[in-house]
Amino acid sequence: MSRPANEPPPFLGAWRRVYAAVLLWLAMLIFAFYLFTRAFNQ
Amino acid sequence: MRSLDWVVLLLSIVFIVFYGLWRSRGSNTVNKYLLAGKTMPWYAMALSIMATQASAITFISGTAQAYVDGMRFVQMYFGLPLAMVILSATAVPLFHRSGVYTAYEFLERRFDAKTRALVSAIFLLQRGLACGVALYAPAIVLTAILGIPDRATTLLMGSLVLLYTVAGGIQAVTWTDFQQMLIMFAGVFISLGMAIALLPGDTTVMDAFALAGAAGRLNPVVLSFNWQDEFNIWTGLLGGMFLALAYFGTDQSQVQRYLTGKSIAQSRLSLLFNAVAKVPMQFLILLTGAMVFVFYSFEKPPIVFNPIELQRLESQPGHADLTRRYDAAYAERRAAASRYVKTKDEAALTDYRAANFRMENIRKETGTADTNYIFLSFVTRYLPVGVVGLIMAAIFAAAMSTISAEVNSLATVSMVDIYRRYIKRDATDEHYLFASRAFTTFWCTYAIVTAQLGAGPVSLIVMVNKIGSYFYGGMLGVFALAFFFPRVHGTAAFIGVLAGEAAILGASQLTQVSFLWYNVIGALVVIGTGLLVSVLPAQRESSGPTSYGL
Repeated sequence: MSRPANEPPPFLGAWRRVYAAVLLWLAMLIFAFYLFTRAFNQ
Repeated sequence: MRSLDWVVLLLSIVFIVFYGLWRSRGSNTVNKYLLAGKTMPWYAMALSIMATQASAITFISGTAQAYVDGMRFVQMYFGLPLAMVILSATAVPLFHRSGVYTAYEFLERRFDAKTRALVSAIFLLQRGLACGVALYAPAIVLTAILGIPDRATTLLMGSLVLLYTVAGGIQAVTWTDFQQMLIMFAGVFISLGMAIALLPGDTTVMDAFALAGAAGRLNPVVLSFNWQDEFNIWTGLLGGMFLALAYFGTDQSQVQRYLTGKSIAQSRLSLLFNAVAKVPMQFLILLTGAMVFVFYSFEKPPIVFNPIELQRLESQPGHADLTRRYDAAYAERRAAASRYVKTKDEAALTDYRAANFRMENIRKETGTADTNYIFLSFVTRYLPVGVVGLIMAAIFAAAMSTISAEVNSLATVSMVDIYRRYIKRDATDEHYLFASRAFTTFWCTYAIVTAQLGAGPVSLIVMVNKIGSYFYGGMLGVFALAFFFPRVHGTAAFIGVLAGEAAILGASQLTQVSFLWYNVIGALVVIGTGLLVSVLPAQRESSGPTSYGL
């Protein structure tokens, strides 16, 4: 059966923090890819 | 393929089918057959979502995309994590709380029956078209390698999927997806590792990156913007986000995965896992293609990778001259690559780039589209025995996971949104279970029959995304109206969808805008039209806020 809608995430305490962590991860990936492009692509 | 490869491939396929059949036990009610009784843990849904999206096309065409065009294709996935966050916060709790079987059932509760019927029909049309392409991709494998006719391959693949999908419904599909995704992970890592390991002994990874970069293959971020170019960071973030919102938020083949979750939290985690893992995985697949490109700096690549097209080319009068010029350009490119590895001289990279440019132009003169054969040609010609079988198993696993999810969702929409809604409203659970199995059989057969339409000159991975983009904008727009605009009523939403689809058709026929923008255009036109029609005097009295929005 479904649990309550406000069930907290298993880490970071609140869903907003989990979403923020995901967006931070994306920003870091794009920045790393940008550096990768700058370093090697000519 | 040698005997050991066949053993690995066949054992993998047999394991998947029997595992699916074993997991099909207990699917004896419609709820269990279509929603797994809402018992799925997040990790099973997460890998099922990923496996459904990662079709055989991802392997075959994704790697080749990097070989011919560089890694900029990865930018198309930059909008996916954004979409996953939005969907976790909006669609997941709404779908879960409403207790629906399909996303389109939700539209009737929020709007009316005609809007549900229209969007269901759009889904059946676009997903029906795409499932034939997804089944055709592995047929390319056996046709190119073993000379087995396309029809035999698609029949075999489709029949195997039919076995466990009909028997076990979504439980079998999800758990086989889980296994298939693990095989795919192994395939990605082994392919990349082998592409690097097969480089000449004195070539370091940094040398390989320098050579790939000199040829313009290491470009995962392109900052310049162009409306007609789908692969830059801006189109990827915005257009990719709209595409992912539409695919994961309105396409039943994905919505059904997370509707099976045992709680909202479990469903959210399954989407957020994809938000974190999808971009790196796609990066690794593209990097494999770039490393295969470098590998072919030291081993001469065929002028055309498609063996059938190569035979045709060899029979043409200008072939000898073409081959002579191609061989000369390759010799220069190889010499420049070797010189760079030994001396790290920048001038060698300039020579490498120039020779590569000549080779590419000569390949263009052949007039053949062989993109989809590049990766398979590399696998079968250069990878060791056993590994070839495993890579093939990964490709088959990718194909089967996508087809089974698509067939399962097509059958669900046919049964829930069409049959149970319009044809037989008050039958028993046993009757609807039988109908679900019958629709599954129908759609699997349909996929097999239409698989032949998958052949074409364009990259398969681009083709599949294009098919979706013609329809997703309208679907995304109507769900946005449902979630965020409580005063918009059914007729306004219905007219909005029609206007959105007309706008996409107009954009595709009258402009040169990249297909990724169709989703944005379609969604915005649906929302704008829906809002406009809702405030018209004649329509106002029937409108009113509902309890199904956010």
